[in-house]
Amino acid sequence: MLEIRELACAYGKIEALRDVSLSARAGDVTCLLGPNGAGKTTLMMTLAGILQPTRGTITFEGESLLGLSPAQIVDRGLALVPENRLVFPALSVRENLMAGAYRRKDRAAIAGDIEQQLDRFPRLRERIDQLAGTLSGGEQQMLALARALMSRPRLLLMDEPSVGLAPKVVAEIFGIVRQLHAQGISIFLVEQNVHMALKVAQHFFLLQQGRVTFSGTPGELAADDVIHRAYLAGSERKPESDTANV
Amino acid sequence: MRDALCVSEPGVGLVIQMMVLSMIALSAWLVLRVGRISLGQQAYFGIGGYAAALLTTLGQWPLELALLAASLMGMGSAVLLSWPLLRLPGLHFAVATLALAELVRLGLSGLHFQVPGPQGVPLGPDGVDGFRDIRWLFDHGVSQVDYMLWAGAALALSVLGLMLLSRTRLGLSLLAVGHDETLAESQGLPVNQLRMLAIALAGGLAALAGGLYAHQQTYLEPALFDPMLGIHAVGYSMLGGLATPLGPLLGAMFDLGLLEATRWFEGWRMVLFGTLVAAFLRWRPRGLLDEHTIYHLGRFRPHFSTTLKDSQ
Amino acid sequence: MEFFQRTLDGLLEAGPYALVGLGLTLGFGMLRRVNLAYGAGAMLGAYTGSWLHVRMDWPIWAVLPAVIVTTALTGLYVQWLCFGETDRTSGSVQRASPAVSGADAREVVALAASFAVWMQLEQLCVNWIPQHLKRFPDVAATQEWTFGPLGLRPDRLLLSAIAIGLVLAVHHWMQHSRTGLAMRATAVHPLAADLSGMPVAKVQRWGFVLACGLSGVAACGVLALEGQVTPMFGMWMLMKGLTVAMIGGLGSVRGVLFGAICLGVLEAHAQAAWGAIGRDAAAWGLLLLALLIRQRSSATSTTGSVYA
Repeated sequence: MLEIRELACAYGKIEALRDVSLSARAGDVTCLLGPNGAGKTTLMMTLAGILQPTRGTITFEGESLLGLSPAQIVDRGLALVPENRLVFPALSVRENLMAGAYRRKDRAAIAGDIEQQLDRFPRLRERIDQLAGTLSGGEQQMLALARALMSRPRLLLMDEPSVGLAPKVVAEIFGIVRQLHAQGISIFLVEQNVHMALKVAQHFFLLQQGRVTFSGTPGELAADDVIHRAYLAGSERKPESDTANV
Repeated sequence: MRDALCVSEPGVGLVIQMMVLSMIALSAWLVLRVGRISLGQQAYFGIGGYAAALLTTLGQWPLELALLAASLMGMGSAVLLSWPLLRLPGLHFAVATLALAELVRLGLSGLHFQVPGPQGVPLGPDGVDGFRDIRWLFDHGVSQVDYMLWAGAALALSVLGLMLLSRTRLGLSLLAVGHDETLAESQGLPVNQLRMLAIALAGGLAALAGGLYAHQQTYLEPALFDPMLGIHAVGYSMLGGLATPLGPLLGAMFDLGLLEATRWFEGWRMVLFGTLVAAFLRWRPRGLLDEHTIYHLGRFRPHFSTTLKDSQ
Repeated sequence: MEFFQRTLDGLLEAGPYALVGLGLTLGFGMLRRVNLAYGAGAMLGAYTGSWLHVRMDWPIWAVLPAVIVTTALTGLYVQWLCFGETDRTSGSVQRASPAVSGADAREVVALAASFAVWMQLEQLCVNWIPQHLKRFPDVAATQEWTFGPLGLRPDRLLLSAIAIGLVLAVHHWMQHSRTGLAMRATAVHPLAADLSGMPVAKVQRWGFVLACGLSGVAACGVLALEGQVTPMFGMWMLMKGLTVAMIGGLGSVRGVLFGAICLGVLEAHAQAAWGAIGRDAAAWGLLLLALLIRQRSSATSTTGSVYA
């Protein structure tokens, strides 16, 4: 469904992505792992159309995404749940959801979709007219997710949904990810929390310093000590339990 | 609203005006150096001018002392007026200086204090009509050329003083505040006090300029210190360059010298000047003589690291 | 009784003041920029209207739209020259602040650029029509209505009613329309708006142009009752606009009503007590007060949201 070949992206002279090649299959939850500074958010921002790559190709369902504006990318069926949620703090929950549906042409169905999201996230229903800035971290994450879903994406991009959240909330979020997957939405997930990611993803990639250094199934990932090598950066110590926060 | 001070007279008069304008530009520059835009330096220009004129006409003080006292008054009033503004963020600060300057101007417009003078002509500020017959230069037989040299010396001393200051630790602290106040604060620099210092010096400079101008023109009126004057002062600094005290001088000379005096741009001076300022802000935000240029000109070798090379 | 008459006069002044403040506050809300060329742009529009009226004999119903169009086009120019930098890229890539420091560095630099445009427009106007007084189509009422001991001019009353109506209409539109949502969302968080598919650059630009067009409406309202334009008009618009917007909160649409009432009533009393100079001084003093009081709340929300 999504094919990225030899992608490179730079901030001025600093190369954040050097040579990224990966692919995500339709219907799968594909997970990109990587330590801080690897370039994960840069990749997501490039996919969303905010940043323009310097080299390489991005193909979605056979069509190139290069040079498209963020609005056009949403039209093609991709939606990003950004790192740090990025809700509109001075707008209400309802307005945040409506913002997510901005590109949709079928205005009548939007109200129905809002209801659907509120069913999925009952806590949002409780706070429907509250300003998004007053929501807790977990609620904002749900709002960001619901907002992205309002555009009826075929591929959902999620940038570190678990960051800064309590474990219970993280479990909730990932439960919803599983639900969405069951409903047929393809998901491209960036995460640092390997433990949770292992539970939902069908395929893994590892990003290190702008390059993909590993590609495989959950089983292969668990067996390989590549994670330890990546996150503990060549430490000689015996790796600790794999639930350690990295 | 009128055109800054551009009542240009040929020759010596023009040069003196250039110096006066340079001084106000310097005062705006000082505030810019600590990271704030002041649209109100014209207030201290007015205060200084009135103070010096009062001292020489009514008090019969010698000019040098009067100008010194005027500068001190400028510094004092700058401290007093700017103190509540210190905690305002940059945008509010800029607007507040504009409001303050207008309040000062209105205050001076309402100032009536006249005493009968020696030739029967009343002396002193007369409200909106301003302050006339500031004749100290004529009464004491100072020629325009002498005055020009005199004013030039004052300007040169100010510039030299500022250059020397920028080499000291105090000067570097001021610069640090201007470039990144959060960083400066986290390093223990007393940001507010440093700003206050810069603002006080700036007020003193503007007041000196006002005193010099008042005596050259022999009259002063509140309509002169309108926002356009302050805006020009900031504009000169932004155009000429923020990295060195020569920057605002360059800006002032460019405006008065090239644009006004040559009469090429008759009546379009402000259009062109405004265009240049806006363009510079967009594409070369630290002016002509920016840190980059100064570094390459080799005249000033800053001893701090090259983090000053702001990428554009 | 004098007191009530003055207060009433002040309240009636609040109408046009609200219009004047509306454009400035909306412009700030859209782009986080205080547009110092606001008054000069309105003046250019006013001069255009006057010229069309005097030289080309245009009737009032043609002059007013011309004024509004001129101010809107000026807004386009200001936006292009000064405020073109829309900072929509991800927050982790921060460009070094150019001329000034602080959290609102970009806003301040843009302010500086706008005063450069102020200079330009000011000179353009003066060059174009050098006379001091320029006639403007006049619809002032000739008689005053009286209610017992109080008198009021019906034209001012009508203008105030229009002003309040317009402010509330703009507010309603911002809150309930799709475009209004896009404008508010873009103002609050340009990056999130981008990701939601909103055309951020376009929304910002045309939102700002709308704000400037509103300044043209304000100019029409004020000048149609005055019947003439003076060179001081630009500064007047800017000053009143700044004061009203600051008191009500930069970016707050309904706030301009509050700000306008404060300013109008204060000025009416100040003028009675201290004359014209006192009135202007009171206005500037009020602005200063508003800045000092508002600074704490605005410092946290200089994200320039357009809010209720």
